[in-house]
Amino acid sequence: MDNHNNRHPQPGMQTPHQVALADSDTCFKAEPEISVLVAMERAGQQLIPVGCRGGGCGKCRIRILQGDYFSKRMSRAWVSPEQEAGGTVLACRVYARGDLLIKPDPPEIAVSCHAADQPDQQNNKR
Amino acid sequence: MKKGVMRPGHIQLRVLDMEEALGHYRDLLGLIEVDRDDQGRVYLKGWTEVDKFSVVLREADQPGMDFVGYKVLNSEVLAQLEQALKDYGQDVEQIPAGELKGCGRRVRFDSPTGHMFEIYAEKEQTGKWGVEQVNPEAWPRDLTGMRATRFDHCLLYGPNIEGTAKLFQDVLGFDIAEQVIDDEGKRPALFLTVSQKAHDVAFIECPEPGKLHHASFLLETWEDVLRAADLISMTDTSLDIGPTRHGLTHGKTIYFFDPSGNRSEVFCGGDYHYPDHEPVTWTTDQLGKAIFYHDRALNDRFLTVLT
Repeated sequence: MDNHNNRHPQPGMQTPHQVALADSDTCFKAEPEISVLVAMERAGQQLIPVGCRGGGCGKCRIRILQGDYFSKRMSRAWVSPEQEAGGTVLACRVYARGDLLIKPDPPEIAVSCHAADQPDQQNNKR
Repeated sequence: MKKGVMRPGHIQLRVLDMEEALGHYRDLLGLIEVDRDDQGRVYLKGWTEVDKFSVVLREADQPGMDFVGYKVLNSEVLAQLEQALKDYGQDVEQIPAGELKGCGRRVRFDSPTGHMFEIYAEKEQTGKWGVEQVNPEAWPRDLTGMRATRFDHCLLYGPNIEGTAKLFQDVLGFDIAEQVIDDEGKRPALFLTVSQKAHDVAFIECPEPGKLHHASFLLETWEDVLRAADLISMTDTSLDIGPTRHGLTHGKTIYFFDPSGNRSEVFCGGDYHYPDHEPVTWTTDQLGKAIFYHDRALNDRFLTVLT
């Protein structure tokens, strides 16, 4: 009963790596056995949008500009094989293998309503 | 008016990794694995379901829903509805008996929202899992995880939900049980039933066709929903929101994600519907309360994260 959300198939390496954002002085630590996205959440940061955390929705798409990483299968709806070869990945499906330099690259997701558009966000919240 | 469609019968979901997916649907949700086929698909069901399977998992490189199928009364009804779908102008595809193991011939059709649906009349009936057919005990003692009782419904996102809802009403005999209406009279959300349930399928308007918001599984009690929340934490499963209650349908619920990013719901309770009931209406200025009755605030992730 483990969906492997936070585990990595090759345990053993335990050194945390630094994940830095390009054009910014923010960074966070990423243990090699948890995904870059979950590492960011655990560091209390909101640098990459969080969606499904399972490689499906595309929200957490980033480009890895520098550094070694391991990645698991992710939805082809958001990352083509060519993009993946060029370092475009979903942060929930990549695990740092060294210090990383990344840049968020969230796709345009067409939806009809956003929470921010709702009038009751101002009027009706307790 | 009823046209002989009985219930949601199966949903085929695409997953990125089958073993991880089984950790979710079998071990965490507690569905029963009943079969596998030579395409590598895995068949599961909730323990109370009498038909052989209700969930089919297929490994693919893009998560989401392949199709959802509804069971009709008998093969005469299937033939009538097949003709009615053609007359209505839908593209209809024949899927031969046995393409899904234990399932009779299926009639697959497209829809304005870009989803593929099926109707079928026959599926092998293996009975409720783990209890006798005569003098059945209350529940089987060797269930795992959340002990989900059945696949209940799905919520789908796509363009022109009015078109798909009209198809379901006019051809398949579904009713609108609940609706959301905006100040111009447009309906961005429609909940349809073919039974007494508050929803057998639901639609939300979205420009992107063919999207899955969630597949939902029924639990018995609120205590079971809280226990499901404990299991989500124990297994470090990706949580979306809950436990909470919906305004729409008034179901008590929790949302979380499978390891491929498909959203799951487990829920209990909620409203009922008879054919003479007017639809229950929520207005978009109260949408926060309609969706999350306690928080009364929407979150972007719930509205926009889809597979």
